[in-house]
Amino acid sequence: MSAGLNLVLVASAALFAVGAFALVARRSAVIMLLGTQFMFMAGSIAFVAFAQFGIGKIHSTAGTSMALYAGAVAVAELAVGLAMAALIYRQHRSFALDADRG
Amino acid sequence: MPLIGALPQPITSAPVVLFVYLVLILLLGSALASVLLRNTLYAVGAFAASMVLVALLYLAIAPFLLVAIQLLVFTTVSAALLIGLLRATTGVRTSSVGRLSPEWVIGAALSAVMFAMLALVLGATAWPVQVCCALPLRLGDTLTNDYPVAFAVLAVILASAALGTGLLLAAPTLPSPRRGGSRSGSSQ
Repeated sequence: MSAGLNLVLVASAALFAVGAFALVARRSAVIMLLGTQFMFMAGSIAFVAFAQFGIGKIHSTAGTSMALYAGAVAVAELAVGLAMAALIYRQHRSFALDADRG
Repeated sequence: MPLIGALPQPITSAPVVLFVYLVLILLLGSALASVLLRNTLYAVGAFAASMVLVALLYLAIAPFLLVAIQLLVFTTVSAALLIGLLRATTGVRTSSVGRLSPEWVIGAALSAVMFAMLALVLGATAWPVQVCCALPLRLGDTLTNDYPVAFAVLAVILASAALGTGLLLAAPTLPSPRRGGSRSGSSQ
């Protein structure tokens, strides 16, 4: 029994799928934002896995650097997205993105 | 001479492998819970748990600096932003337990003991990764020397996000057409 690149990449792909499902299937702006965060998270995990187990090991800090960049961009995206969600809530008293359809 | 040599071997130590499997299963479970739960507050809680579980996964496969940043910066900032949004919109009920009540003191003491144990284990042993003091310097060199453009772009993105968030939150709210107001643009 071992834990290598394949295992972490499969988990990363599953996490990305969960995020994509939230983005497509849910109407709440907050849940959709969480979905994008999961997709960023999946990308970061894949970068780190390649740095640890794959050919990225040649330059081992590269994967960590990419994960740091992805995390920072994800936080920035979350801040702007939540501000937009707050505006949607102020206007419609709901986080649903199609709340103005009646 | 081959361009790529032998790839690094996977983790074979049984406790670490079990730890990775457990963390991955819990991570996917909490992610699914976060997506499927109807209560936004519970969804945010499951999301925060997912962020902590990613930090635990990094503990096994990544440098300790990334674990610390994931746990102390990304998790904290994301959770604070989400809780702040909920407080400003739907509202989060404040706890009925007083701040200096025995429950709070016991909880704080327990948390402090757990963090101290984690620090002790990480500092005194090499499990699951050896904490390396030289890593932040190497990582800083990588960030600033190997990826200067990405570093600059990241600074611009973060500054733009801060500015955009402030401007969005300071913008006046337009009246909803369902409440008798009028809006410019299409109403479809």
